[in-house]
Amino acid sequence: MNVDQLADMLRRDSQFMQNVVRWEELPTRPAQYAPCPEGLDPRLLPVLQKRGIHQLYSHQAHAVREVLAGKDVVVVTPTASGKTMCYNLPVLSSILKDEDSRALYLFPTKALSADQVSELYELIEEMGVDIKTYTYDGDTPGAARRAVRQAGHIVVTNPDMLHSGILPHHTKWVKLFENLKYIVIDEIHTYRGVFGSNLANVLRRLMRLCAFYNSHPQFILCSATIANPQELAETLTGRPIELIDDNGAPMGARHFVFYNPPVVNRQLGIRRGVLPETRNIASMLLKNGIQTITFCRSRLQVEVLTRYLKDMVRDPLGNAGKVRGYRGGYLPTQRREIEKGLRAGQIDAVVSTNALELGIDIGALDACVLCGYPGTIASAWQQAGRAGRRKSTSIVFFVASSTALDQYIVSHPDYFLHQSPENALLNPDNLYILLSHFKCAAFELPFEDGDSFGNAPAPDQLLDYLTDASILRHVDGRYHWMAEDFPASQLSLRSAAAEENFMIIDITNPANPRVIGEMDRYTVPMLLHENAIYMHEAQQYQVEKLDFDACKAFIRQVDVGYYTDSDLNVSLSLLDIEQENAENGVSRALGEVKVTCQVTMFKKIKFDTHETLGFGHVRLPETDMHTTAMWWTLPDELAAQFDNDTLKNGMLAVTNLLRIVAPMYLMCSPQDVAVLYQVKSPFTDKPTVILYDNLPGGVGLAHKAYGMQRLLLDNALQIVENCACQSGCPSCAGPMGEIGDNGKQTAIAILKGLTAP
Amino acid sequence: MNLRDKLNALSSKPAAPKPAPPVKTFSDCWHECLRRPLTEFPGCFNLRRETIMLMQGDDMPDPLDPRRILYLDTETTGLKGGAGTVAFLVGLGWLTDTGFELHQYVMRDYPEEKYLLQAVEETARRFDVICSFNGRSFDVPLLRDRFLMNRMRTDCLDKPHIDLLHIARRVWKLRLRQCNLGRLEEAILGMPRVDDLPGSEVPERYFRYLKCGDFSLLTDVLEHNAQDIASLCTLLGHMARLYEAPEILRHSEDVYSMGVALERMRHPEEARRCYRLASAGSMRVPGQLRLAGNLRRAGERSEAKTVWQGMMARHEGGIVPLIELAKHYEHIERDPAAALDMTRRAMMMMAEPSLTEDSETTQTREALEKRYQRLKGKLERSC
Repeated sequence: MNVDQLADMLRRDSQFMQNVVRWEELPTRPAQYAPCPEGLDPRLLPVLQKRGIHQLYSHQAHAVREVLAGKDVVVVTPTASGKTMCYNLPVLSSILKDEDSRALYLFPTKALSADQVSELYELIEEMGVDIKTYTYDGDTPGAARRAVRQAGHIVVTNPDMLHSGILPHHTKWVKLFENLKYIVIDEIHTYRGVFGSNLANVLRRLMRLCAFYNSHPQFILCSATIANPQELAETLTGRPIELIDDNGAPMGARHFVFYNPPVVNRQLGIRRGVLPETRNIASMLLKNGIQTITFCRSRLQVEVLTRYLKDMVRDPLGNAGKVRGYRGGYLPTQRREIEKGLRAGQIDAVVSTNALELGIDIGALDACVLCGYPGTIASAWQQAGRAGRRKSTSIVFFVASSTALDQYIVSHPDYFLHQSPENALLNPDNLYILLSHFKCAAFELPFEDGDSFGNAPAPDQLLDYLTDASILRHVDGRYHWMAEDFPASQLSLRSAAAEENFMIIDITNPANPRVIGEMDRYTVPMLLHENAIYMHEAQQYQVEKLDFDACKAFIRQVDVGYYTDSDLNVSLSLLDIEQENAENGVSRALGEVKVTCQVTMFKKIKFDTHETLGFGHVRLPETDMHTTAMWWTLPDELAAQFDNDTLKNGMLAVTNLLRIVAPMYLMCSPQDVAVLYQVKSPFTDKPTVILYDNLPGGVGLAHKAYGMQRLLLDNALQIVENCACQSGCPSCAGPMGEIGDNGKQTAIAILKGLTAP
Repeated sequence: MNLRDKLNALSSKPAAPKPAPPVKTFSDCWHECLRRPLTEFPGCFNLRRETIMLMQGDDMPDPLDPRRILYLDTETTGLKGGAGTVAFLVGLGWLTDTGFELHQYVMRDYPEEKYLLQAVEETARRFDVICSFNGRSFDVPLLRDRFLMNRMRTDCLDKPHIDLLHIARRVWKLRLRQCNLGRLEEAILGMPRVDDLPGSEVPERYFRYLKCGDFSLLTDVLEHNAQDIASLCTLLGHMARLYEAPEILRHSEDVYSMGVALERMRHPEEARRCYRLASAGSMRVPGQLRLAGNLRRAGERSEAKTVWQGMMARHEGGIVPLIELAKHYEHIERDPAAALDMTRRAMMMMAEPSLTEDSETTQTREALEKRYQRLKGKLERSC
């Protein structure tokens, strides 16, 4: 069955259509071509023609033209629109014309680098010229590194390697730095938050070294669709950047189906679970032979769903290779094998976290199922874009969960279809991040009096601070590195702290323990605490021992009818108040806080019925994070209206509402902003609602929220007042079971009190 | 709050008191010249080019003048390298007709680095060869980086390089395990150091000096460096003598290792001499095996055969001499019957296969089995 036939069949299925809130058909988009710009080396054209490319798409031609004219550009196009041509053509052309030219390619992950190099190799090989392209990352063997440094025309790497392997050793890379013509950065939409703020500083360091070696490289950046690609590109590079977004790639017709699971308890506003509904849709696609990717919201969901689908297709020997799971934590070789299987069409269904959202080449699939809203419009389109062929029809199902955000999206499909996607926010001047990079930069090349660091504020103050701390020595107008450490090794770009990942070791066969995956330090307490059920490729394991100091978790295969879910305790203390104001007894403040997280217990939850079977305790150390926060303090008269329990329920309901509103108005993903309440806050001494950047150091979300706090409260009030439920539901203030009988009414009263004119 | 106050507030520890700002002007680096009598370096002028060529792979100037070898050692602000690591002390030594001259250059503060580098450049230019301990991968690349960072040319460092660490490792690793300079002085030169400053403490010492300006903090570092440089000259002379007369080596592990080193540097005849010496001591089995292999490669088939036969007669080396003899009979003497006999003996010597056998043993067993079948086939065909 093809997708068109399937769509017809579903539309005639009245039971299915009852739950379909909206069936949107996105029309076929024809290709738009433009002539190849003049100025490209003539040797490139025959190679393109040999590959069946006789004309360029309009955006490709546009990008090449601007780059050849010496401009820095950012190209914004959806998945599979041939964006790699936008940089490969000018880069290859410049090396063909001057064999001393060098280019640096940055991809967010090693997997993407490997993908790119193989494509470049093909082009170069067909031209029969000597252009050396190398990946330089943690996997590059020591013996090969010398050749890469000396002779690589195109060096393909990732931000982490640039940061810790290339910049601190720039004297070994003289050839690259002296002749650097192009810096290509793909998938820049992934560089937001901490990672983006770090990359912006790595680029500041890179440009500083280029100035030392007297080279003036141009930037070619690529991004998936987000609201502010140009702003993001300009913040990352600190330069004005030309925007190229006239996508000319063709696209087959696409169905976008908004599916809301049926309500099973109208009073409590409870719907059928998103996972069983997703399973039904994914199984239906699998049975009809339609190659499908399903995106889940968590690693746990991926494992549960993979298991369901594998059971469906298992052959008599128990093999179910046509269904695969995919997520961070699988070993690289396993991931490469799955990607290959998808491209070759050997895998019918893959269940993934957002790990496959990035531009890893898995070919185009027929169908995509979103198990819950991915949190941002940009992500949703990116994931949906995995289904979509140039010529034939594809179909996307969005299955809403009962969370408020999902319910908001599924009941306002137009908001989703027409709202611009989110902004990618980053803050290169985040003090923690900036300070770390000042150290790295000073190590790489001494600062001189009056030197700037990109457009970072007050470089002299940071340098003097580091001088006071005896890390730098200020003498004769220069700041010299005066410490034994290697500063780049103490800073990880992807999280604020440079901590080791944990190894996950399967000890089912004690004679042959094997490492089956790894996990970052922050996730470990949630998923790998002792006695947790950990799922990997749909196999259940129980955590036998978690060695926190050695960064190892020992697990053993089990087969039990339940999974586990842990509770995270969060507490907060104040470091510094930056701004505050009070009106009508409501005070609002913005400042820096320390957030302490600890997992203390977990629940055992039965498969299928999802009932809680029991609890267990977890004994693990706390983790600290410094970040920025804003908070509202309730006036005494308002708080005095309620007894303690009522107040608690009301405040919980308010935080639930703010969690819905904040990501939409701050244009960020829900996990980047956290909201919590304290009935008697240790730092205001009063009932307080706190919103903070859920990223070390903060990227400016709390600042933005402080500026639009009234708007947030007004919208929260509007949602809860307009909701038809009686005493709260998952789509507004939270389910009654969570916020009590009077939670909804109390929340309305609190919000009114906070917004009183 | 301004940025700096904020940073101070964020850091848990109070800011350290600010060191007094350096106010002086910089016009040269610190320099000291020491002279040591030639009697401390016995036979140091007897270095022969051919001997150095036995020890390592860099081509040496011809003729090689021992007075044109520059002994070099640096002390640095970090041991991990990278563009922020600086050589704050460079020690350079060379032989003259009247003694060993040792020059030490110290940058008393960062602005003096360029004067230090100029001094190194001017000196290095006058020499043909550099001799160091691990300088090939540490000191010289680091100096190159420093020249580059100061926008100076680096060609004064492009010379043949005798790196004693690599040479010493090849000869003594087997017996001594550790081959740092201190260990070699103690075990090989018989001159243990007293009150030496451990190298790992050097960077910290220099930073302490920078903070308080008390130059006497560097006394230990200077002594350590001077000792290192003198030892380079002594060690090179000593090693050259050993290479010329391996008989002096008292440990057969060392003679054996020297043989392996010579063979790796493509000097099979000199290697053979070492293997013969080693075959007389505690390394007799590996020594003889190496010797026979060496002879076989040199085409001295019958001599090799004699070695293996001797081993077989003395029950040395397990099945290895038997297998080698089997190959010899089969392929050289074309005597399948003798070859089969050797193979059969080897098979008998190997124990029954056990469950925990490693894959290497299994492979040997399978190879023997194959050889056995092949030889039997050959014999039957010839009958």
